[in-house]
Amino acid sequence: MSAAPAGVPQQETAAAAAVSVKRVSKVFGDVHAVREASFDLPKGRFLTILGPSGSGKTTLLRMIAGFDAPTEGDIYIGGQPVKAVPPHKRAIGMVFQKLALFPHMTAAENVAFPLKMRRHDARTIPEKVERYLELVRLGGYGKRRIDELSGGQQQRVAIARALVFEPDLLLLDEPLAALDRKLREEMQLEFRRIQKELGVTTINVTHDQREALVVSDEIVVMDGGEIQQMAQPVHTYRTPANAFVANFIGVTNFLEGSVVETSNEAIALSVGGMRVKGVAGGTAKVPAQGELAAGALRAEQIRIAPTVQGFSGLANVVSGEVRDAIFEGERIVYEVVVPELGGAVLRVFDHDAESHQQFGPGDSVALGWNAKDMYIFKK
Amino acid sequence: MRPSRAAYPIRWRVMDILEQVAGKLWPRSFSAGLPYLMLLPALLLVGVLVWGLVEIGDSSLRTLDTSTFLMSENYTLANYQRALSERFFTTVAGRSLMGSLIVTVVTLIFAFPYSYLMVRTQSSALRKFLLVALFLPFFIGQVVRAYGWLIILGNQGMVNEALGLVGVTPIRLLYNYPAVLFGLVQYMLPFAVLMLAPAMTAIPAELESAASSLGANWISSFRHIVLPLSKPGLVGAGLVVFTLSLTDFAIPAILGGGSQDFIANAIYDQFFRTSDQGMGATLSLLLVAVGSILVGLVFMVFGAGTLAMGGDRK
Repeated sequence: MSAAPAGVPQQETAAAAAVSVKRVSKVFGDVHAVREASFDLPKGRFLTILGPSGSGKTTLLRMIAGFDAPTEGDIYIGGQPVKAVPPHKRAIGMVFQKLALFPHMTAAENVAFPLKMRRHDARTIPEKVERYLELVRLGGYGKRRIDELSGGQQQRVAIARALVFEPDLLLLDEPLAALDRKLREEMQLEFRRIQKELGVTTINVTHDQREALVVSDEIVVMDGGEIQQMAQPVHTYRTPANAFVANFIGVTNFLEGSVVETSNEAIALSVGGMRVKGVAGGTAKVPAQGELAAGALRAEQIRIAPTVQGFSGLANVVSGEVRDAIFEGERIVYEVVVPELGGAVLRVFDHDAESHQQFGPGDSVALGWNAKDMYIFKK
Repeated sequence: MRPSRAAYPIRWRVMDILEQVAGKLWPRSFSAGLPYLMLLPALLLVGVLVWGLVEIGDSSLRTLDTSTFLMSENYTLANYQRALSERFFTTVAGRSLMGSLIVTVVTLIFAFPYSYLMVRTQSSALRKFLLVALFLPFFIGQVVRAYGWLIILGNQGMVNEALGLVGVTPIRLLYNYPAVLFGLVQYMLPFAVLMLAPAMTAIPAELESAASSLGANWISSFRHIVLPLSKPGLVGAGLVVFTLSLTDFAIPAILGGGSQDFIANAIYDQFFRTSDQGMGATLSLLLVAVGSILVGLVFMVFGAGTLAMGGDRK
């Protein structure tokens, strides 16, 4: 993403970052799995690489781990280029998608494995193993066989095993993907707690946007092998760099139309003949008048009411008809057909349905939103 | 209510009729007995086998009267005494057991990297090649293959001709112990690979990646991960190779040229050359006993579950 500022020597920026990925590409046959990916991750930070399957996120992680070599570009860990360093000589702890615990060993033997392989003093190993099992709240479970542990406990063994030799870097390859939702959310917080406790630099790969938002200090969003945005979770969510990021994270409505007016940041689109006001989104060039553009609008930024009264402060007000009302527990999702916008269907959240009037299919409603909440991206 | 018959495919109607017939022959109330009925063919086969063994056991207790060429009427343990004391038989037994052990070890050493490569290779062309190379010998019978070795290794064979070109006088490559062992290893390799491959497929490649990320070089990864997890395959393959080698007939006969007899050859000689049914039966029973004891020992040491190829590791 951000190239080193002019005048600052390359070496220095690489040394400051725990992990530095510089213009890394990976080509499998005629597939560009990763294209010119670059980012710097400062020491002690928790980075999540977020993207749909096939976005190249796992390939990027495997290159950092050393299982695949980049076709082009360089990776620096602790300021050192690692091109010539095989995986077993990199100080990287990794938690695998299917955990890859050794089934013929006990939990303690699994955790002791990296210490034995790295020739730690045999007398200190049992104490260390126990300390890390305590860290993942598995104290006393050391003698259990792997298949005698529950899914969550196996996760914890895998984490302890990846951390026990105090690696410079912890890599997580979607280890939570197979867990049920409740356990997954519990483990996300657990990852966060352990990471903060040890301060180990961590790179996590996931396709779960919620997980990315919950656990990370930084999020890299990938699609089609390219990095779309690197930012803190709040910024990734609130100021997406482009339409892909806006669409991938959160529930987003897109209104497509041609630009009818631009002044500074403010842009007006004509959608189905109606004038809709928004602001320029992302870092790309602001679309010019007459160009096609899409306005991205989060479902929770739209207000819904029986009539337009009370929407006086809002830049955009439309009326529509409820097509479906979906009860999701903590919120109701309305799908509203808006004839003024060329029959576009907007999804609207109501998070406080108990104190609001509830609508059913066929009800007429008014919708309104602020211009600053709609980001307009060039098509 | 009668839906048009044409709506039913002919297959359905055939199945309906079959089901009706089956219902008449085997009413639902009998259904608890069905599994036992299905066991019957297997039980019959095993029964015949057991009956044969009893007959052989009976023969083994009678000696051959060399003047009349008839089996003795009364039971005696003389055959067993002879088998365990006569030098010829102990030599053959020792040769077979030792040979089978060597063949097993050597075969497993060769089969292990072969199946590892076959299971792990990224190239489907290489995997196909390895599989074809493995199955091709199955289409060529054991005897034909042994004769093939005669052509290659004989005094006027290809190897000696090639050596002759560089001025080496013909070497006797056949009709000795190494030749028999060589032939057996070559014959057993596919069996061993076929038994090892499923066990190795059951080891996720991710485990080796994990070992490597945890600091294990390939030797440690092999020693601590691949080898222990292949144990079920190794035990199964070892057992099969050992028992097949121990009871092999054709390769010792052809490549050993009569001078390197294994137990099966000795049994054949007793039955068909000296016509001493009693002695042949005794040797057969002893062979069955030795084989069973070995299998039993392996099960006791490694657990009977080790042969459940790779499936459930619990």
